[in-house]
Formats: sequence, structure tokens, C-alpha cells
Amino acid sequence: MYAISVDNLSKSFFVPIREAGLRASFRSLFKREHREVLAVQNVSFSLEPGEMVGFLGPNGAGKTTTLKMLSGLLHPTAGEVEVMGFTPTGRDKEYLRQMTLIMGNRHQLIWDIPALDSFELNRAIYRIPHDEYLQTRDEFIDLLDLQEIVTKPVRNLSLGERMKVEIVAALLHRPKILFLDEPTIGLDVAMQRRIREFVKTYNERYQATVMLTSHYMADIEALCRRVIVIHNGQILFDGALADLVKRYSANRRLVVTGPAVAADFSRYGVVVESGSGRVVLNVPRADAANVTSRMLHDMPEIDLLIEDPAIEDVIEDLFAGAGMGASDERDPLAR
Amino acid sequence: MTGKRMRSRFNEIKFLTAFYSLRVKYAALLVFQYRLATFLWVVGLIVEPVIYLVIWSTVAREQGGIIGGYTLADFTAYYLVWMILRVVNIGLHPGAFEWRVRNGRWSHLLLRPLHPIHDDIAFLIGNKALDFVILIPILILLGLFFRPDLNPTGWQILLFIIACLLGFLVRTVWQWALGLTTFWVVRVQAIFDLYFAIELLLSGRIVPLDLLPDWAQRLANFLPYQWSFGFPIEVAIGRQTWSQAVTGIGIQLCWIVGGWILVMFLWRRGVKRYSAVGA
Amino acid sequence: MNSLRVLWIFLRVGIMNEAQYRVNFFVQLLQSAIALATGLIVLALVFSYTESLNSWSQPELLIVMGVHTLMGGLIQVIIQPNMLRLMREIQEGTLDYMLTKPEDSQVLVSVRELRFWSIVDVAVGLAIVGWGMQRLASPVTLAQVLLFLLMLGLGFLIFYSFWLLVASTAFWFIRISEIVTIFQSLFQAGRWPVGIYPVWLRTILTFVVPLGVAVTVPAEAFTNRLSTGGLFLAVGVTALFFGASRGVWLWGLRNYSGASA
Repeated sequence: MYAISVDNLSKSFFVPIREAGLRASFRSLFKREHREVLAVQNVSFSLEPGEMVGFLGPNGAGKTTTLKMLSGLLHPTAGEVEVMGFTPTGRDKEYLRQMTLIMGNRHQLIWDIPALDSFELNRAIYRIPHDEYLQTRDEFIDLLDLQEIVTKPVRNLSLGERMKVEIVAALLHRPKILFLDEPTIGLDVAMQRRIREFVKTYNERYQATVMLTSHYMADIEALCRRVIVIHNGQILFDGALADLVKRYSANRRLVVTGPAVAADFSRYGVVVESGSGRVVLNVPRADAANVTSRMLHDMPEIDLLIEDPAIEDVIEDLFAGAGMGASDERDPLAR
Repeated sequence: MTGKRMRSRFNEIKFLTAFYSLRVKYAALLVFQYRLATFLWVVGLIVEPVIYLVIWSTVAREQGGIIGGYTLADFTAYYLVWMILRVVNIGLHPGAFEWRVRNGRWSHLLLRPLHPIHDDIAFLIGNKALDFVILIPILILLGLFFRPDLNPTGWQILLFIIACLLGFLVRTVWQWALGLTTFWVVRVQAIFDLYFAIELLLSGRIVPLDLLPDWAQRLANFLPYQWSFGFPIEVAIGRQTWSQAVTGIGIQLCWIVGGWILVMFLWRRGVKRYSAVGA
Repeated sequence: MNSLRVLWIFLRVGIMNEAQYRVNFFVQLLQSAIALATGLIVLALVFSYTESLNSWSQPELLIVMGVHTLMGGLIQVIIQPNMLRLMREIQEGTLDYMLTKPEDSQVLVSVRELRFWSIVDVAVGLAIVGWGMQRLASPVTLAQVLLFLLMLGLGFLIFYSFWLLVASTAFWFIRISEIVTIFQSLFQAGRWPVGIYPVWLRTILTFVVPLGVAVTVPAEAFTNRLSTGGLFLAVGVTALFFGASRGVWLWGLRNYSGASA
């Protein structure tokens, strides 16, 4: 049985058309014209229990919309969703007790009291047995080094500290399903890493199924072997992260170091970087082996490293690719 | 089967009790961080009844000291008890619902396995703790100064306390129902204004109900307002007999149940609509 | 007179900006209508029991109510929005942008915001005053009208100064917004002539929150209650508040620059 299964899921919104000008805005007081926006179109995928999947796509691709449908906040226009055997929009209390949705820019803790008190309140709301609560709480506090932080009023915490206690609060009931929407947004690199490690530990200890969106590829690389790429509401790719790179990067990167780096490399490929003792070339994937042997033949003294391009670049290319130019349209939900 | 259902009912009550006691406690702790603000708020609150008291006393004095069965001392008693009710009755302003819709606050509340109205009610109860700490000495002082005609018996005090609590629930539940309309329409500020304007006139807030024209009194009987203001006050100042008071409490219960059913109905519809257009 | 020019430019931009949001106009219209109806009903209720309230007749009280509504409108249109923004900026320390501009800072912070549609209340207030005037026992003279307008102007200055004074306290105290709540509840007292209140409240309403001078006194211009003494009191209180608010503002500014440097 799948933990999450999504079948032909679609969501469209009707948004009012706003015209410029006084007369038009006056007219729209009485009569509004609407336009249909397809936020998600015929999306299908499924997740095994315990799987961690990265959900990638540019702003407005439909990631948040999909996560909201999975967590029951949005009714699908068409298609089926089943999570842990529940239909999310039924908002069954049993279901709500088994899942959590964490959004990096939304806060749920009570501002003026210490996080510890908010935890206690969540214990009551989620009906967590007392022993289990204490054990989970202390475990999380340990993992994230929160001993000092949880007794201070939330309003006095830094952004990163607040995010950590938010995550603890959202996981106290040991949900089996985690939807993480940009959990590390706006945090510094060290804090991002901390939260990443925590999510990983949680997933391992509690066999939780995790769906994660992030702008930071480091998050995805560290946590997810599988990614789903969505663009303009449609799935472009669903598979292993390594395959994504193989399939969509037209190029490989050749990094040259050694005494000959002053030479002209442009006859081997596109020079993207040179200086400080190294040169980086982009070479079409199919030619990579060929070019490499030519270079080693021409300049046997150089050191050569063949790399895949950074995932960011692959994804950027992917979204900018033919027929699907990056859309400026904003996700109607990303307000 | 019935045993199982009983047990789940019992669990539900146990759960809600645990939640309420915690939430009330934290809401009370919270408000103690805003002592100055609360103090100023309570002080500002006194102005409104003083205005009414001055006006009606002036009118009564010009009419030989009594109108509509209220003497000057009765008016004083009425508006002193009024202050208690004003604090007891604070509910969530329906405008807060608009704010929640606009700021996407419902999303978080919808994700929890708890009906948000419980959170609000518990918060509102706890939130009043400090108000009372401040209000009670003020009331005692005002009582010594103004000498109201206020001699409640034991049962009147008891029924008054019950009537206060129920009055709070009547007002909160109906304001919640009104607030839920923001799931369908935005910019309803004027409707809320109308709601509170009617409350001002027909609840016993600006004037005891007995002083209203007959037709207005009859109209008030079809509205929930007087069960949050006029009725509890009249219980305290002894203008309701024992049986009238008990009947009144029954009517309060009816308004609460009616409002509750309306809230649940609107809530289900509203959530459906909310989650169709974007949470 | 550069200040006046700046003031005019800001007002014009503000009006043009708000004029786009016509929904606000309808909402305001409804809100004003509801408030007006409530006020009239209460007045009718009082006068169903009595011929006069502390020697004020019904038309005279209508004028008081009209002035109160009008003043409330003016406060909503220009005074309150600017002062609330000022308090916020002082607390958040973002006032610096304003202080770098080559113009009197007090003028600038007083005209940046405009809730134009509350002008409806000003119109409603004027209409009620006009209605009350018509129903007065004795006809209104031109001198009375001029005196009324003068007192209205003073009243506006008093409220402006009062608010600036309150807003300036934000230089020293954080979370002063509760004063706004208190002001709003005290402001309701101005619906009735302050003479009916007990001495302690009347004193507060004259010297602490000067409603009496700003609302009751203009209305008195029509009812032959305004004595020369009252006139001087009004001018005096206005001067006092205006001077004090200017002084506290400048003092606060010095404090502010000192703190952020």
C-alpha cells in the first residue's frame, strides 16, 4: 500500500480579471469577469511509506497548491488523492493527527509565551499520551539543542530559532506524513543544515513519509533520492535525482588543472570559468569522452576532472527549455 | 455499540476539559504581559457606562427622580453591573475573521484536529483574568462613591454568575456565526457595524430595556442581544424574580444551542468554500 | 509658505490615491448612515422622556451631535491615520527617512496619510448641524455662523495638537497605542454637552482630553451660551495644546536623533 497516492489530480482557480483605469475598476464593483487558471493539471504520483521525495519547480509551478490538496486545505477540482488511506479533504481528525504541514513563512506558535507552553498546548490538541509527549519533546530538544531556547517567549527568538521550535511543535505528535513547504527559507547555511539533519533523523526514526519543497538544492540533495519536477502545473520528471541530471543536462563539466591552464581551451568546448589555476569547460554530454581523450592527448601534463553540472543549473535549463519558458505567473496561493 | 459511543463521548469531554484548562491558563498568563495596556483598556471602558449613567440620571432628575421604574440609585446599580458584563461579554470581533481570511490564518487552524471555536472561547475566557483583577477594585471604589441600590441575595448572585457565563457564550457564538460570513463575502465591516448598532440599542447596553418603547422591547425579544446584557444585569439588581431568572437562563441556553447549530452549519459550508478557492 | 504648498501637494496625492478605492466609499457611506441612525434614535429616546437635558433643547443637542460627527470625521480623515503611522514609525525606528527631507518635519508627518472617504462623516455632521440650526427657536445670525466656524477651526487645532502630543510620547514609551483606545471611548462623551457631566469628568474633558472645548464650545456658538470668558478659555486651551505639542515634538525629535546615533 502506498502512503500517498495521487491520481490525475487537477486544480483550477477562477481569478477576477482586473483592468486598469477608474471606469473599469468601478464597473468591476458590480460585475466581475473571471479567468480560469490551471494551477495543477492531471498530476499523478505515489509515495511508498518512509520515502522522502523532493518536489521541485519554479514559483507558481503548483507545488504549494499540490501540498495543500494533500493536506486537505484545498479541494481538488478533479482527480483522486489518498493519504494513509484517508481522503484529505474529509479533514478526518484521525488523519489530521497523523500528518503535518510546515510552511517556512507561516508561524503557528503563540507569540508571547515560551515555546514549551505552546508544545504543551499541542499535546492537548493532538491528544498525545503524556509519557510519549515528554519523550518526544526531550528527544527533539536534544537533537536541535533547544534547551535554552524553549523557555524564552517566541517573540524574542531569532528567525532560525523560531523555525526550529516551529518544527518541533509540528512534529510532537509524531506524524507519519510530513509536508514541508520551504522549511529553510530565509535561514543561514548552518541553520539550514541543522534542520535538514533533523528531518533526516526524524524520517529514519519514525519511518515518516516526507514531501519537501525547497529553493535550496542542498536540501534536496541531502534528503531526497527521488524528485518530482513540476512546471506549469504538470509533472515534467519523476525519478531518481541522479537520473534527472543525466537526462536533462546536455553538458558535462570538465575541470582542468595543471601547468597548461593558460592555453586556449575554446577549441575543446565552451569555457565558463578560467583563472586562479583552473579552467572549467562545458562539453556536450555525448562528446565528453571524446573531448577528454583529445585533451589528454594534446596536453598529457594536465589534471582533468569530469563532473555533472550543479543541479541548480540543470533545473534552470530544464525550466528554461524549449516550449516551456519560465512563466511569470505567480502561484495564486503563494500569498 | 452504545457503550462504545458513550465511552467516546466521555473521552471527548475529557479531552476538551484538558484542552480548555491549558488554553485558559496560557491565555491568562499571556495577558499579564500587557498590564499597562489592559489597565488603560479597562479604564477606558468605564467611560461608556458613565456617559449613559449621567444622561439617564439627568433625565430622571428632571422627571422627578424616577423613570420607567428606575430611580437614580437603580441606574447606578445597573451601570455598575453593566461594567462586569461588558468585560464578561468580550467576544471575538467579527472583523478578526476577515483578518484571518486575508492573512491565511485559517490554514493553520484547519490543520489541527480541533474545532477552532474551542480555541477562541478558551482564549477569551483566559484573556479576561487580568481585566477582572483590575476591574474589581475599581468597582468597589465606584460602589462606595456612588452608593448604588444593589443588595443581591445568595441565589441572585449564583444565578447572576450563571447568566454571565451563558451571556458570554450567547454573544461569542452569534458573533462567530456572523464572522463566518467572511468566507463568502469580504468587506463586511458595515454589516458588523449594523450588528453592533442594534446591539447598542436593543441589548440593554445604552438604556435598560424597560425604558425602550413597547415595540422595541417586543423586537428585542426576537434577538439574542438582551441575553448578554440586559438579562444578567437585571438578575443582579433584583429586577427578575427567581422563576423569571431561571426561565431566562433556559432561554439563554436555547440561544446558545441555536447559535451553535448555525455555527456548525456555516462552518462546514464555509470550509468547503474556503478550500475551493484557496486556503 | 512653503509648508502650505507641501501640505496641499500631499493632500492632493492622498485624495487621488484614495479616490481609486470606491468600495471604501460605499462601506463608509453605510457606516456613517448606521452611526447617524443610532445617534438620532438615542436622541429621540432621551427626548421621549424629557423636554430638555440639563437645559439643552433637542435642536441644540442635534447641533452638538453634528459637531461631534464632523470632528470625528476630520480626525478620521487626516489626524488619526497620520499620527498612528507616526507612532508606528517612531517605535520601529523608521522615522529617519522623513527627518532627512528639507521641510519642517512636523508638517510632513502630519499630512502623509489620508483616509479620504471619512469625509462622508464631515458632510453628515454639517448636515446635522444645519438641521439643528433650522429647528432652533431663534434664527441664526451671521455673527454666530462666523463664531461657529472660528471655534470649529480651534477645535480642529486642539484635536490635532492633542494627537501630536500623544503620538510624541512614543519617543519615550513603547506600546502607546492603548491611548488610542482610551481616546476613542472618551471621544464618545463628546456626543453630549460636557456641562452635563460631573465636575471630575468635565475637568478631564476640558484639560486632559479637550473634548469640551473642541466639540461643545463650537455648538455653544449657536445657542447663545458662549460667553466672552468661554471664548478666551477656548483660545487659551488651543494655544496651550498647540504650543505644548510643538514643544514636546521638538524635544522628542532631539531625543530620537540622540538615541539612534
